[in-house]
Amino acid sequence: MLKLHGTLPVLSSVTKESYLVTVTKSDKLPKVIRKQRALLRTSAGDESGYKAILTKEQRNNESWRESDIFKISEDQDYLDEGDIIRLDPNSGSFQCLYRKKSPHNTILLTEQCDHYCLMCSQPPKATDDSWLLKEAFELISLIPQDTERIGLSGGEPTLYRDKFIGLLHHIRRSLPNTGVDILSNGRAFKDKEFAKKYSSVNHPNMIIGIPIFSDDPVRHEYVVQSKGAFDDTIRGILNLKEFEQNVEIRVVIHKQTINRLVQTCEFIARNLLFADHVALMGLEITGFTRPNLETLWIDPFEYKDVLSEAVALLNGYGMTASIYNHQLCTINPDARGNYKKSISDWKTEYLEECVSCTKRSECGGFFSSSKKYQHSNHIKAFA
Amino acid sequence: MSKFNGIKFYKAPQSSSYTLLPLRFIPLDKDHYVLTNLAGEYLRIKRGVLVDFLRHKLSAEDPSYIELRARHFLIDETSSIAPDLLALKLRTKYSRLCEFTGLHLFVVTLRCEHSCPYCQVSRQSEDKPRYDMSPEIALGALDLTFRSPSSNIKIEFQGGEPLLNFDLIKLIVEEAKRRNQRVGKNLAFVIATNLALINDGILCFCREHSIHISTSLDGPRVLHNANRPRPGNNSYEKTIEGIKLVREALGRDQVSALMTTTEASLNCVEEIVDEYLAQGFNEIFLRPISPYGFAVKTNSYRAYNTERWLKFYKQGLNYIIDLNHHGIEFIEYYTSTILKKLLTSEDPGYVDLTSPAGIGIGAVAYNYDGYIYASDESRMLAEMGDTTFRLGKVLENSYEEIFSSPKLLEPLEASFAYSVPMCNDCAFEPYCGADPVYHHGIQGDFVGRKPTSEFCSRNMEIFRFLIHKMESDSFVRQLFTRWANSKC
Amino acid sequence: MPIHRDARPILIRFDSRVFSLPAVKKAAYKYANSFAADINLEENEIVCALTLTPPVEETLSSTLIEEFKKEVLDQDLREQIKTETEPIRNLIFALAFSKTGIVSNEQVQRD
Repeated sequence: MLKLHGTLPVLSSVTKESYLVTVTKSDKLPKVIRKQRALLRTSAGDESGYKAILTKEQRNNESWRESDIFKISEDQDYLDEGDIIRLDPNSGSFQCLYRKKSPHNTILLTEQCDHYCLMCSQPPKATDDSWLLKEAFELISLIPQDTERIGLSGGEPTLYRDKFIGLLHHIRRSLPNTGVDILSNGRAFKDKEFAKKYSSVNHPNMIIGIPIFSDDPVRHEYVVQSKGAFDDTIRGILNLKEFEQNVEIRVVIHKQTINRLVQTCEFIARNLLFADHVALMGLEITGFTRPNLETLWIDPFEYKDVLSEAVALLNGYGMTASIYNHQLCTINPDARGNYKKSISDWKTEYLEECVSCTKRSECGGFFSSSKKYQHSNHIKAFA
Repeated sequence: MSKFNGIKFYKAPQSSSYTLLPLRFIPLDKDHYVLTNLAGEYLRIKRGVLVDFLRHKLSAEDPSYIELRARHFLIDETSSIAPDLLALKLRTKYSRLCEFTGLHLFVVTLRCEHSCPYCQVSRQSEDKPRYDMSPEIALGALDLTFRSPSSNIKIEFQGGEPLLNFDLIKLIVEEAKRRNQRVGKNLAFVIATNLALINDGILCFCREHSIHISTSLDGPRVLHNANRPRPGNNSYEKTIEGIKLVREALGRDQVSALMTTTEASLNCVEEIVDEYLAQGFNEIFLRPISPYGFAVKTNSYRAYNTERWLKFYKQGLNYIIDLNHHGIEFIEYYTSTILKKLLTSEDPGYVDLTSPAGIGIGAVAYNYDGYIYASDESRMLAEMGDTTFRLGKVLENSYEEIFSSPKLLEPLEASFAYSVPMCNDCAFEPYCGADPVYHHGIQGDFVGRKPTSEFCSRNMEIFRFLIHKMESDSFVRQLFTRWANSKC
Repeated sequence: MPIHRDARPILIRFDSRVFSLPAVKKAAYKYANSFAADINLEENEIVCALTLTPPVEETLSSTLIEEFKKEVLDQDLREQIKTETEPIRNLIFALAFSKTGIVSNEQVQRD
């Protein structure tokens, strides 16, 4: 797993507050551009005038005097041309917010949330982190236009209400060719006016992924730990569809949702057939999942037949469905048609067992958290 | 973690009760009932559970309770979204209704060189040109066709043998396409033909205009030729050859086959399916015989009854399911039509099994002589001397006169299934239909008495059979789900 | 088989709290070529005096009577259900004809 954030020793600094900057390896850039770049030092050259220098060498260079100098280690080896990072010269805090080579860039908009899912991978915090939204505006302006897709998530991004819509408009203007994937519980859209504002962004390639964990309202609300969630979410989805917005339904599979997985898929097929995609997702062993492991964990190998039945049902209804976050050896062959390599590249790992596996390149592997804490007992290399 | 609430927190309080949503029920077998909700979704339930449920004694802990709530049969304090979803599903089911007449049957001639005993068309022999539709009538019928609000128009050429008046077919197709340039409807053409007279010229025209061919294949050669006498006794050979020619000229899927069930068919359903397989079809329509035209005159209708046909149908369907088990994709069309109603909110648009009835609203027939009939069966009834469903005449009556004629509106309203005894509270009503033409023909009134109606008993048995199969076999369940969602 | 030579009318009584008069009349009308019906209202009963025309043998007349009773029930139910379901039926037919240009806006609004 890549370490996308950390603290770096600050060898010297000029700037007083934190900022976003694009990484470059080039020492041939004109001065005007250098002021907006962090140089990732590869070899000696003309290194003056950069906003920041990222160096593995513990020394100060005369030409660096206009720059903030941060010492990096092999933890930052993944950094490459075009990546966008946040640097804080005061604390040394570093975060990589955008990786040019990654197909999975997601912007965290807030850690606040009105749900408290048993398996939340980003446990909610009540503090005011609206600075994240402000930063997102700036980040969007820096992201290159040829980026294929970006994700927006949280917490619950729609808690920002109109400001969230504002961000979407900004994305539309700044990145007209970039697809947008939003993760939300959908409840804010039960307000038709809000759904209408969302639709007024008129984005040609935007989809919102909304979880429904069960066809049983009680069970769904138990998983998200919020009364009234089921009705609000469904209403939100109906409103979004009334305004012809793309909606994906996400179901996380674990011990609390597996018993009604097939019925839930049937519910989706009978009531929400217009959904553009259904994602059936495996558990990530991070955040709240770990303390709730006993309640949640079930070996995917044990439920593979149920998964096959669920996916066959969705396929039978002509819906587009994908299986995410599973290993190929834990699903039945008849489910492979729906299988996707889904784990964000910076999180993907494999086990020792996988070294000899002939299907390794088709398999999405594991979350590093799964590898570390809990994974299927039935991992077996394909011959 | 103590910060998380247990599931009990999200349940309705112990003391709370539930309300029934609109539902109907009917026995399925000795232990089970079938429930259907407002949107026509079904649930199989044990009798004891049903009784508790209806008496408001069912516990919220019972797995059946959770099922009933999730499937929109009851509503309680935990969720109130069910009415919205039911309404949405219901609106979807009815959304096709206002498209109105999509199927327009043009009987271009009554002439035919076959003499099939069950033929519902009292066909005239070949050499009487006055049984041909005239160009004037054809154009007048096109006026009426384009007056339909439906965005999808299918013009089906029938007869007799329509190819005997191919020149008129050409005129109609070309004129329809010309008019459609202005209007932009989805226009489709079908010729229902025995293929004996197909030739290169006809094929060329069909290819140019994407005309679909619908032919008759009753089964293996002996059966087919026995059903369809023609001079030379080679109806089967001509049909097979014709299918081959059509496929070569127009494409594999441009020809479909329909079978007619006769006394002789009833004992050899598997052979008939095999014949369809052999001829490269992946679909068959196991049709009941309808009591019109020559069928009644020549007694072949009385020759069999519902019991025997049901046996035929079940055996055929079981055989087809077996084929699918062995990896052969083959669909039974009538079943898939009914399954669409059982398993989806889509309207299959099948005019013979729908309420309001498909007469006028779904289909209309323009006879060779200009008379207009509410359906193909209505025309056949007229051939027997009963013009109850004759709506008017091309060039003499306006669209408004025809489609607001009491001869259409009365049977439509009278037969509306939800408004008649037994259908009104039948759980299967969403899957069934109103057939005023049939009931008028057999029982003498548009409604019919359902306890003595073979239409009713046949359909009920089919619904029970299909539900029973789905509930007891997951392979069938999955197969049927695919059938229900197929675009045939 | 004995035939009703004396053509005495057969009396059938329907409880008027259960069956409607129009239903009885409609049913009687349907069998007009099998019998003539004299219908009277007496207290809580609708009394039908049926004269079989032409007179028939007993087994056939019992069948006819049975059929007549079934028909009365049929007609009664038809009437009741038709009335109860009128709003929904009108709604569905209004929808069906809504794009044909035949139903005037007035009518649609009224429904």
